Amino acid sequence: MFLSSLGEVYNFMKWRFPWFFGHGTAGQRWLESELVVLDLELTGLNPARHEIVSVAWVIIKRGKIVLSESRYMLNADVQSLAQSPVYHGIDEEQLKRGASLEGIMNNLAGVLKGKVLVCHNTQLDWSFIQTHARKFGLEIRPDYMLDTLKIEKSRLLRQRQEVGQDQLRLPACRRRYGLPDYQNHNALSDSLATAELLLAQVNHLDAEKHIKLSALM
Amino acid sequence: MTETGITAELQDVLSFVSKQSPFNELPSACAHYFVNHAEVVYLTVHNQDDALQGEERYLYLVRTGIFDLVDVSGEVVTRLSTGDYFGYPSLLTGEEIQNQLEVQSPGLILMLPQASFDYLRHEYKVLEQHFVRAHKKRLLSSHYKERSKGWSERKISKLMAKSAVVIEPQATIVEAAKVMQSEGVSSVMVTEDGCLKGVVTDRDLRNRVLASGLDPLMPVSSIMTPEPKFIFENNRVFSALHLMLKHNIHHLPVLNEARVPLGMVTSTDLLRLQNSDPVQLIGQLYKASSTQELKLLAKEIPVLLRSFSNTVEDFSFVGTLLSGLTDALMSRLTELFVKQHGKAPCSFSWICFGSQAREEQTLDSDQDNGLIFSNDIKPAERDYFASLGEFVTSHLTECGIRACPGNIMASNEQCRGTVDEWTARFHHWITSPTPQAMLNCKIFFDRRYICGDHALYQSFNAQMNEISTQELFFAAMATDISTNSVPIGLFQQFKLQRSKDKSKYLDLKTRGIAIINDLVRVYALKCGIKHANTQARLKALKSHTILSTSDIYNLRDCWRFLTQLRLKSQITAQQLPANCINPETLSSLERHQLKEAFHLIKQAQQACVFKFARGSL
Repeated sequence: MFLSSLGEVYNFMKWRFPWFFGHGTAGQRWLESELVVLDLELTGLNPARHEIVSVAWVIIKRGKIVLSESRYMLNADVQSLAQSPVYHGIDEEQLKRGASLEGIMNNLAGVLKGKVLVCHNTQLDWSFIQTHARKFGLEIRPDYMLDTLKIEKSRLLRQRQEVGQDQLRLPACRRRYGLPDYQNHNALSDSLATAELLLAQVNHLDAEKHIKLSALM
Repeated sequence: MTETGITAELQDVLSFVSKQSPFNELPSACAHYFVNHAEVVYLTVHNQDDALQGEERYLYLVRTGIFDLVDVSGEVVTRLSTGDYFGYPSLLTGEEIQNQLEVQSPGLILMLPQASFDYLRHEYKVLEQHFVRAHKKRLLSSHYKERSKGWSERKISKLMAKSAVVIEPQATIVEAAKVMQSEGVSSVMVTEDGCLKGVVTDRDLRNRVLASGLDPLMPVSSIMTPEPKFIFENNRVFSALHLMLKHNIHHLPVLNEARVPLGMVTSTDLLRLQNSDPVQLIGQLYKASSTQELKLLAKEIPVLLRSFSNTVEDFSFVGTLLSGLTDALMSRLTELFVKQHGKAPCSFSWICFGSQAREEQTLDSDQDNGLIFSNDIKPAERDYFASLGEFVTSHLTECGIRACPGNIMASNEQCRGTVDEWTARFHHWITSPTPQAMLNCKIFFDRRYICGDHALYQSFNAQMNEISTQELFFAAMATDISTNSVPIGLFQQFKLQRSKDKSKYLDLKTRGIAIINDLVRVYALKCGIKHANTQARLKALKSHTILSTSDIYNLRDCWRFLTQLRLKSQITAQQLPANCINPETLSSLERHQLKEAFHLIKQAQQACVFKFARGSL
C-alpha cells in the first residue's frame, strides 16, 4: 500500500485500527451509521489477474435495509469471463448492456464516501475495489469497514467452538440465525443476504441495545 | 438502472412476496413494486422500540420469526409468523398504533412505507379490499375486548380490603362471636392447619345458636357451614357474583393458589361496586313468602335489567343474570308448592333447557323446563308432579317468563318422567333423526340442573353419556343447521325481512345467534362436553382438536357481538319483532362488523357440514 503523506498514514491508521484511537467516531452508535453492504462477482480470486463481473450493494439506514436504494451493476469492460458464466449465469450478451468499469468505480467512490463498507470476507472485495479504482486514479475510502465473516468467526470462537471454513460461508452463517436460504445467487441477492446477516448478528450481540461500531470491528 | 432490474435480481424476496395473499392474486408488477419500496429489519426484543417507533407508518410483513400482537390490556390479539401482516389498521384509519408487539422469536420483517402502501391500494382495489377485510375481522375480535374493563372483570384480590379472620374448629361459639365483634365482620372462617374447614356467619349465630337454644360453649365446628363454596383471588368479580347468585350465599371465602384463606368477599362488597342490585333481588326472591310477593318482585326484573345493562360491560352476563333470576323463581315456587301440598313422594329434580340452560335468557325468552323423578315412582304418585309442574310453570308465566309455544314445560306430561323415561326419549331422537327429533335435540341437548335432588340429575346425565352417539346423528344435525342461512346476499348486502307494517328488519337470533349455538352444540356433543353455555362450550373445545383455535375465537367473537347487538336493541325497544334490528339504525362500523360476523358464520356452517355430513348431502 502506498501512503504519500503523514496525514494519510494517520488517516489510514485511524481507519484500519480505530480502537487504537479510543472511541472517536467509531464510537458512534451503529444505528446512526449509514452502511453500504456490498458484494462483487469475480472471475477469480487474484485482484492482479482477475476481473470484477458485477457489483451490487444495499444500504442500511437506522438499522433498516432500504431496498429502494440498492444498486446492481454489470461491468461491460470484462476482458475474459473465464469460468464465470458457469458460476454466475452471466454471459457476454448481458455484459454488453452493463456499465463501464470506470463508471462503476466512480459510483462506488461516491456511495462509499463517509460510509461504512460491509462485506462477507471484506478483505477479498476490498482488494479488488482498490486495485481497480487505482487504474482510474480514484481513491475510494469508506470511513470504516466491517466484515460479517469476521464477526461470525469471533462470535464462534468466543463460544469456544471449533471454526471450520465451511461454517463461515454465507449460507451457513445465515442458517445459524434462522434466516431463510437463498436459491438465487448474484451480487445483489448476496449483498442483501449479507445485510440481513449483519442485522441478525448485531441484534444478537446487542443485549443492551445501543451497540457501537467499534464493537463490530 | 430501472427498478424492475433490482427486483429481478432479488428473486427470492420477490417470490416470497408474490406467494402471499393478496399479491398471489395480483399482477406481478404489484409484488415488484412492494419489493422495490420495502425496507428490511431484523426484529428482536431489544431493538423493537427503535425499529417500530418513529414518525413513519408502515405495512409490516413477517418473513421469519414469531411475534405476538398484544392489545392495550395485555391480551394477545393474534400470533404472527411467516406471511402475516401487521400495522395495516393504522395505515387504513390514520390512527395511532394501539397494539404492541412481543417478540417470541426474532426474525426478518419487510416494511412497506405508508406512501408506497397508499399507492398500491389506489392502484389495486383487490389489495385494498384484502386489508380492509382483515381490519374488519380484527375489529370484530377486539370489539368485545375494548369494552371489557368494567367492574365485573376486576380481580377478586382488588376487592378484598380486610385480611382473613379465622378461628380454630375447637374454639367455642362465644369465642367466634367475640372475634367477629372485635374485627367488625359479619362472618368468620374456620380453619385447621391453615386449611378452610367452614364458615360461620351472623345469621348462623342467630338461627343455629340463639333460635335453637344451643349452648354457646359448644365448639364452633358444630354450627359452621362445612365445605363452603369459595373463590380464588385471581378469579374475577364476575365469577364471585355468579357463585353467589347460583347458591344464594352472601359470604364467599377467598383463597390463594395454595388454598390458603386470604379473606372474605360479601354480597355487600359487590353491591358497593355497582349501583343496581341483582344480588339483593335474588335474595328477596328466595325469601318471598307468597306467590303474590314473587310476582311483585319479578316485575322489577325488566327495570333491573335496563339499569344493570348500562353498568355491565360484558353483555353476556345479562343472560346469566336473567337465567339466575329464573332459577331463583323456580326454586322458590317449588318450595312454596311443597309448603302447601306437602313433601314430594319421591326424589325429583328440576331441569331447564334452551336459553335458560345456556344462560343466555333475554326478556323475550320463553320457558323450557321439565321434571325428572326417581325410577321407583309409583303410578299414583305422578299426580303430585303434574300439579307441581302446573303450579310452577303457570306462576312463572305470571311472573313474566312467557309460556313455551312448543309446550316444553313441566306442565306437559311429555316433559315429566323418570330418569329411564327421559333417557329413552333422548335415545329415540338420536337414533331416528326426523326433523321434529332434530328440533327436540336442539332444545333438549342444552340442559342444566336447577333445584331438587342433584344426585338424581347426575344419574340421568351419567345415563345420557352412555347413549352411543352415532355418525348418522351428527350428519343429520349438521345438515339441519345448514338449512338455516345467514341474511347476507350474493353481493354482501343484508337480506331484510318485512314486518306487517312494512318496516324492514334483520332477525339476529334465528339467523345468527341460533346458528352459532347449533354449531357449537354439535361440536360439544361430539367431544362429550357437558356445559350448556355456548361460551363455556367454546372454551372447553379449545382442548379438543375438532376446531382450530382461530375458528373457536371467530365463533366466540361473532356470538358476543350478535348477543350484544341484540340486547342493545331490546333495551332501546325499536318497535320491531323480538330479537330483530333495523340495520339502518346501526353505525357504519357496526354494519361492517355485522356483515363480517354473518360471513364467518356462513363459513363455519359450511365447515360443519363438511366435517359431519360429507357424502350425505
